[in-house]
Amino acid sequence: MKNSCSTVSTVLEKYFDQEVTDEEKLLVEGHLQECPGCRDALKSMEEFRILIKAPVEEATQKEDFPWVWQKIERGIRQQEKLTWWQSFRSWLDVTPLFKKRVWIPAVATVVVLLFVTTQIILKKTPSYPEVSVVEYIESQSDNVMVYQLEEPKVTVIWLFEGPEEERTTT
Amino acid sequence: MAVRGSGGGTDNNMRRTGFLLVAFFVFSFFSTLTASAQVPVRMRVIQASNVGQNIDPSLSDVHKELGSLFSFTSYRLLREENLRLFPNQPATIMAHPGRFMEVTLVGLQKEAAKLRIRVIREGKDILDTQVRLSPGRTVLIGGPRHGEGVVIYAISARF
Repeated sequence: MKNSCSTVSTVLEKYFDQEVTDEEKLLVEGHLQECPGCRDALKSMEEFRILIKAPVEEATQKEDFPWVWQKIERGIRQQEKLTWWQSFRSWLDVTPLFKKRVWIPAVATVVVLLFVTTQIILKKTPSYPEVSVVEYIESQSDNVMVYQLEEPKVTVIWLFEGPEEERTTT
Repeated sequence: MAVRGSGGGTDNNMRRTGFLLVAFFVFSFFSTLTASAQVPVRMRVIQASNVGQNIDPSLSDVHKELGSLFSFTSYRLLREENLRLFPNQPATIMAHPGRFMEVTLVGLQKEAAKLRIRVIREGKDILDTQVRLSPGRTVLIGGPRHGEGVVIYAISARF
Protein backbone atom coordinates (compact mmCIF):
# COMPACT_ATOMS: atom_id res chain seq x y z
CA MET A 1 0.00 0.00 0.00
CA LYS A 2 2.83 2.36 0.92
CA ASN A 3 4.59 1.75 -2.33
CA SER A 4 1.34 2.30 -4.16
CA CYS A 5 0.67 5.58 -2.30
CA SER A 6 4.11 6.95 -3.08
CA THR A 7 3.63 6.01 -6.74
CA VAL A 8 0.21 7.62 -6.92
CA SER A 9 1.27 10.74 -5.09
CA THR A 10 3.65 11.60 -7.95
CA VAL A 11 0.79 11.71 -10.43
CA LEU A 12 -2.01 12.83 -8.11
CA GLU A 13 -1.51 16.51 -8.92
CA LYS A 14 -1.51 15.73 -12.61
CA TYR A 15 -4.71 13.75 -12.08
CA PHE A 16 -6.21 16.69 -10.24
CA ASP A 17 -5.30 18.96 -13.15
CA GLN A 18 -6.63 16.37 -15.65
CA GLU A 19 -3.26 16.00 -17.30
CA VAL A 20 -2.76 12.27 -16.83
CA THR A 21 -2.77 9.59 -19.49
CA ASP A 22 -5.50 6.96 -19.61
CA GLU A 23 -3.21 4.43 -18.02
CA GLU A 24 -2.32 6.79 -15.15
CA LYS A 25 -5.96 7.68 -14.73
CA LEU A 26 -6.92 4.02 -14.26
CA LEU A 27 -4.06 3.57 -11.83
CA VAL A 28 -5.04 6.59 -9.72
CA GLU A 29 -8.77 5.88 -9.69
CA GLY A 30 -8.18 2.22 -8.72
CA HIS A 31 -5.95 3.33 -5.89
CA LEU A 32 -8.33 6.03 -4.66
CA GLN A 33 -11.08 3.44 -4.17
CA GLU A 34 -8.86 1.55 -1.77
CA CYS A 35 -6.91 4.38 -0.09
CA PRO A 36 -8.70 6.92 2.15
CA GLY A 37 -5.43 8.85 2.70
CA CYS A 38 -5.05 9.65 -0.99
CA ARG A 39 -8.77 10.47 -1.23
CA ASP A 40 -8.23 13.01 1.56
CA ALA A 41 -5.24 14.43 -0.25
CA LEU A 42 -7.31 14.87 -3.43
CA LYS A 43 -10.12 16.44 -1.43
CA SER A 44 -7.63 18.87 0.14
CA MET A 45 -6.49 19.92 -3.31
CA GLU A 46 -10.09 20.65 -4.38
CA GLU A 47 -10.75 22.66 -1.20
CA PHE A 48 -7.53 24.59 -1.68
CA ARG A 49 -8.45 25.43 -5.27
CA ILE A 50 -11.88 26.66 -4.20
CA LEU A 51 -10.20 28.68 -1.49
CA ILE A 52 -7.84 30.36 -3.97
CA LYS A 53 -10.20 30.69 -6.93
CA ALA A 54 -12.90 32.73 -5.21
CA PRO A 55 -10.75 35.73 -4.12
CA VAL A 56 -8.78 35.74 -7.36
CA GLU A 57 -11.94 35.90 -9.47
CA GLU A 58 -13.36 38.56 -7.21
CA ALA A 59 -10.19 40.67 -7.54
CA THR A 60 -10.10 40.17 -11.29
CA GLN A 61 -13.68 41.37 -11.69
CA LYS A 62 -12.94 44.48 -9.65
CA GLU A 63 -9.77 45.32 -11.57
CA ASP A 64 -10.22 46.83 -15.04
CA PHE A 65 -6.52 47.07 -15.85
CA PRO A 66 -6.69 50.74 -16.98
CA TRP A 67 -3.03 50.94 -17.94
CA VAL A 68 -3.42 48.01 -20.32
CA TRP A 69 -6.32 49.66 -22.13
CA GLN A 70 -4.49 52.97 -22.23
CA LYS A 71 -1.55 51.32 -23.89
CA ILE A 72 -3.75 49.52 -26.43
CA GLU A 73 -5.69 52.69 -27.26
CA ARG A 74 -2.47 54.64 -27.70
CA GLY A 75 -1.19 51.96 -30.03
CA ILE A 76 -4.40 52.06 -32.07
CA ARG A 77 -4.26 55.84 -32.33
CA GLN A 78 -0.64 55.77 -33.50
CA GLN A 79 -1.44 53.15 -36.09
CA GLU A 80 -4.31 55.25 -37.42
CA LYS A 81 -2.12 58.34 -37.86
CA LEU A 82 0.54 56.86 -40.11
CA THR A 83 2.19 59.33 -42.46
CA TRP A 84 2.87 58.41 -46.07
CA TRP A 85 6.52 57.89 -45.20
CA GLN A 86 5.63 55.55 -42.32
CA SER A 87 3.29 53.68 -44.61
CA PHE A 88 6.06 53.39 -47.16
CA ARG A 89 8.49 52.17 -44.51
CA SER A 90 5.99 49.62 -43.25
CA TRP A 91 5.48 48.49 -46.83
CA LEU A 92 9.20 47.99 -47.11
CA ASP A 93 9.13 46.04 -43.86
CA VAL A 94 6.71 43.49 -45.22
CA THR A 95 8.16 43.31 -48.69
CA PRO A 96 9.99 40.00 -48.93
CA LEU A 97 12.26 41.52 -51.56
CA PHE A 98 14.26 43.26 -48.87
CA LYS A 99 14.33 40.42 -46.43
CA LYS A 100 17.10 38.46 -48.02
CA ARG A 101 20.51 39.76 -48.94
CA VAL A 102 20.64 37.54 -52.01
CA TRP A 103 18.11 39.79 -53.72
CA ILE A 104 20.45 42.77 -53.85
CA PRO A 105 22.76 41.48 -56.61
CA ALA A 106 19.75 40.06 -58.42
CA VAL A 107 17.91 43.36 -58.34
CA ALA A 108 21.07 45.24 -59.29
CA THR A 109 21.57 42.95 -62.28
CA VAL A 110 17.98 43.40 -63.41
CA VAL A 111 18.28 47.16 -63.05
CA VAL A 112 21.48 47.27 -65.08
CA LEU A 113 19.97 45.02 -67.76
CA LEU A 114 16.86 47.18 -67.95
CA PHE A 115 19.00 50.29 -68.19
CA VAL A 116 21.11 48.86 -71.01
CA THR A 117 18.03 47.53 -72.81
CA THR A 118 16.31 50.87 -72.56
CA GLN A 119 19.34 52.58 -74.01
CA ILE A 120 19.43 50.16 -76.93
CA ILE A 121 15.70 50.40 -77.59
CA LEU A 122 15.63 54.17 -77.44
CA LYS A 123 18.76 54.61 -79.50
CA LYS A 124 18.04 55.89 -82.95
CA THR A 125 19.39 53.87 -85.82
CA PRO A 126 19.78 55.44 -89.24
CA SER A 127 18.46 52.81 -91.56
CA TYR A 128 15.74 54.17 -93.77
CA PRO A 129 16.11 55.25 -97.37
CA GLU A 130 15.67 58.98 -97.46
CA VAL A 131 13.29 60.17 -100.12
CA SER A 132 13.66 63.87 -99.61
CA VAL A 133 15.69 65.73 -97.05
CA VAL A 134 14.18 69.12 -97.80
CA GLU A 135 10.52 69.17 -96.82
CA TYR A 136 9.84 72.72 -97.90
CA ILE A 137 11.88 75.73 -98.91
CA GLU A 138 11.17 79.33 -99.72
CA SER A 139 12.96 82.62 -100.04
CA GLN A 140 11.51 86.10 -100.01
CA SER A 141 14.26 87.57 -102.11
CA ASP A 142 16.47 85.06 -103.89
CA ASN A 143 16.29 82.08 -106.20
CA VAL A 144 17.03 78.77 -104.55
CA MET A 145 18.40 75.51 -105.87
CA VAL A 146 18.35 72.16 -104.04
CA TYR A 147 20.76 69.41 -104.90
CA GLN A 148 20.80 66.10 -103.07
CA LEU A 149 23.39 63.35 -103.12
CA GLU A 150 23.19 59.94 -101.48
CA GLU A 151 26.91 59.19 -101.67
CA PRO A 152 28.26 61.16 -99.95
CA LYS A 153 25.16 62.02 -97.96
CA VAL A 154 25.04 65.70 -98.73
CA THR A 155 22.18 68.04 -99.50
CA VAL A 156 23.04 71.40 -101.02
CA ILE A 157 20.75 74.38 -100.81
CA TRP A 158 22.10 77.22 -102.91
CA LEU A 159 20.92 80.79 -102.73
CA PHE A 160 21.44 82.98 -105.78
CA GLU A 161 21.83 86.40 -104.30
CA GLY A 162 22.96 87.94 -107.53
CA PRO A 163 23.63 86.95 -111.12
CA GLU A 164 27.37 86.83 -110.53
CA GLU A 165 27.00 83.99 -107.96
CA GLU A 166 25.59 81.50 -110.43
CA ARG A 167 28.94 80.79 -112.03
CA THR A 168 30.43 79.59 -108.78
CA THR A 169 28.46 76.36 -108.61
CA THR A 170 29.03 73.31 -110.70
CA MET B 1 20.09 41.45 -28.44
CA ALA B 2 23.32 42.16 -30.24
CA VAL B 3 22.47 39.80 -33.06
CA ARG B 4 19.01 41.28 -33.44
CA GLY B 5 20.43 44.83 -33.57
CA SER B 6 22.92 43.84 -36.22
CA GLY B 7 20.22 42.19 -38.30
CA GLY B 8 18.08 45.33 -38.14
CA GLY B 9 21.00 47.40 -39.39
CA THR B 10 21.53 45.00 -42.27
CA ASP B 11 17.84 45.19 -43.12
CA ASN B 12 18.01 48.97 -43.17
CA ASN B 13 21.08 48.88 -45.39
CA MET B 14 19.40 46.47 -47.76
CA ARG B 15 16.29 48.61 -47.89
CA ARG B 16 18.36 51.71 -48.49
CA THR B 17 20.36 49.97 -51.21
CA GLY B 18 17.19 48.73 -52.86
CA PHE B 19 15.63 52.15 -52.70
CA LEU B 20 18.74 53.74 -54.21
CA LEU B 21 18.79 51.18 -57.01
CA VAL B 22 15.18 51.87 -57.84
CA ALA B 23 15.82 55.60 -57.71
CA PHE B 24 18.86 55.15 -59.96
CA PHE B 25 16.83 53.21 -62.50
CA VAL B 26 14.03 55.77 -62.50
CA PHE B 27 16.54 58.60 -62.87
CA SER B 28 18.35 56.77 -65.68
CA PHE B 29 15.12 56.09 -67.50
CA PHE B 30 13.96 59.69 -67.39
CA SER B 31 17.39 61.05 -68.20
CA THR B 32 17.42 58.77 -71.24
CA LEU B 33 14.05 60.12 -72.31
CA THR B 34 15.27 63.68 -71.78
CA ALA B 35 18.49 63.00 -73.66
CA SER B 36 16.55 61.51 -76.54
CA ALA B 37 14.54 64.72 -76.85
CA GLN B 38 17.60 66.80 -77.72
CA VAL B 39 19.79 66.75 -80.79
CA PRO B 40 23.42 67.79 -80.93
CA VAL B 41 24.04 69.75 -84.10
CA ARG B 42 27.36 70.83 -85.56
CA MET B 43 27.26 74.03 -87.54
CA ARG B 44 30.19 75.39 -89.51
CA VAL B 45 30.40 78.61 -91.41
CA ILE B 46 32.82 78.28 -94.32
CA GLN B 47 34.06 80.96 -96.65
CA ALA B 48 34.61 79.64 -100.16
CA SER B 49 36.42 81.67 -102.79
CA ASN B 50 38.68 81.44 -105.78
CA VAL B 51 41.37 83.57 -104.18
CA GLY B 52 44.37 81.39 -103.48
CA GLN B 53 44.33 77.67 -102.90
CA ASN B 54 44.11 77.42 -99.18
CA ILE B 55 42.18 74.61 -97.54
CA ASP B 56 41.57 75.07 -93.87
CA PRO B 57 42.98 72.01 -92.05
CA SER B 58 39.89 71.86 -89.85
CA LEU B 59 37.82 71.22 -92.97
CA SER B 60 39.73 68.12 -93.99
CA ASP B 61 36.73 65.90 -93.24
CA VAL B 62 34.48 67.73 -95.73
CA HIS B 63 37.07 68.95 -98.18
CA LYS B 64 36.46 66.03 -100.52
CA GLU B 65 32.71 66.67 -100.60
CA LEU B 66 33.20 70.39 -101.06
CA GLY B 67 35.68 69.78 -103.86
CA SER B 68 33.30 67.43 -105.67
CA LEU B 69 30.36 69.81 -105.39
CA PHE B 70 31.85 73.25 -105.92
CA SER B 71 34.55 74.77 -108.08
CA PHE B 72 36.08 76.99 -105.44
CA THR B 73 39.79 76.77 -104.82
CA SER B 74 39.93 78.08 -101.27
CA TYR B 75 37.92 77.08 -98.20
CA ARG B 76 38.30 78.77 -94.84
CA LEU B 77 36.45 77.98 -91.62
CA LEU B 78 34.99 81.19 -90.25
CA ARG B 79 33.10 79.79 -87.32
CA GLU B 80 32.08 76.55 -85.72
CA GLU B 81 29.25 75.99 -83.26
CA ASN B 82 28.19 72.83 -81.50
CA LEU B 83 24.61 73.28 -80.45
CA ARG B 84 22.18 71.18 -78.48
CA LEU B 85 18.77 71.69 -79.95
CA PHE B 86 15.68 71.18 -77.85
CA PRO B 87 12.21 70.92 -79.38
CA ASN B 88 10.78 74.25 -80.49
CA GLN B 89 13.57 76.28 -78.96
CA PRO B 90 15.26 78.33 -81.69
CA ALA B 91 19.03 78.65 -81.59
CA THR B 92 20.47 81.67 -83.28
CA ILE B 93 24.01 82.19 -84.48
CA MET B 94 25.55 85.12 -86.24
CA ALA B 95 26.43 83.58 -89.56
CA HIS B 96 28.48 86.46 -90.82
CA PRO B 97 28.12 90.25 -90.65
CA GLY B 98 24.59 91.32 -91.59
CA ARG B 99 23.14 87.83 -91.56
CA PHE B 100 22.20 85.38 -88.90
CA MET B 101 20.82 81.91 -88.88
CA GLU B 102 18.04 80.52 -86.73
CA VAL B 103 17.74 76.77 -86.31
CA THR B 104 14.81 75.12 -84.56
CA LEU B 105 14.22 71.47 -83.79
CA VAL B 106 10.59 71.01 -84.84
CA GLY B 107 10.38 67.25 -84.74
CA LEU B 108 12.31 64.22 -83.71
CA GLN B 109 11.59 60.92 -85.36
CA LYS B 110 13.27 57.61 -84.77
CA GLU B 111 15.77 58.10 -87.56
CA ALA B 112 15.85 61.81 -88.28
CA ALA B 113 15.55 65.23 -86.76
CA LYS B 114 13.36 67.81 -88.42
CA LEU B 115 15.03 71.18 -88.42
CA ARG B 116 13.61 74.48 -89.49
CA ILE B 117 16.39 76.71 -90.76
CA ARG B 118 16.01 80.40 -91.44
CA VAL B 119 18.70 82.66 -92.84
CA ILE B 120 17.78 86.25 -92.10
CA ARG B 121 19.27 89.32 -93.71
CA GLU B 122 18.14 92.76 -92.59
CA GLY B 123 15.01 91.33 -91.00
CA LYS B 124 14.02 89.49 -94.14
CA ASP B 125 14.03 85.73 -94.60
CA ILE B 126 16.37 85.07 -97.47
CA LEU B 127 15.86 81.40 -96.75
CA ASP B 128 13.19 79.52 -94.83
CA THR B 129 13.38 75.77 -95.09
CA GLN B 130 12.63 72.60 -93.20
CA VAL B 131 14.93 69.66 -93.58
CA ARG B 132 15.00 66.13 -92.27
CA LEU B 133 18.47 65.52 -90.99
CA SER B 134 19.58 61.98 -90.36
CA PRO B 135 22.89 60.92 -88.80
CA GLY B 136 25.70 61.06 -91.33
CA ARG B 137 23.99 63.55 -93.59
CA THR B 138 25.26 67.06 -94.07
CA VAL B 139 23.16 69.93 -95.30
CA LEU B 140 25.15 72.65 -97.03
CA ILE B 141 23.51 76.03 -97.43
CA GLY B 142 25.55 78.29 -99.67
CA GLY B 143 25.36 81.34 -101.80
CA PRO B 144 25.33 84.44 -99.62
CA ARG B 145 28.21 86.69 -100.64
CA HIS B 146 31.04 87.24 -98.23
CA GLY B 147 34.15 89.19 -99.14
CA GLU B 148 35.56 87.91 -102.40
CA GLY B 149 33.66 84.66 -102.20
CA VAL B 150 30.56 83.13 -100.76
CA VAL B 151 29.66 81.64 -97.46
CA ILE B 152 28.60 78.03 -96.98
CA TYR B 153 26.87 76.78 -93.86
CA ALA B 154 27.50 73.10 -93.11
CA ILE B 155 24.97 71.55 -90.76
CA SER B 156 25.09 68.00 -89.48
CA ALA B 157 23.37 66.23 -86.64
CA ARG B 158 25.06 63.83 -84.28
CA PHE B 159 22.65 61.34 -82.70
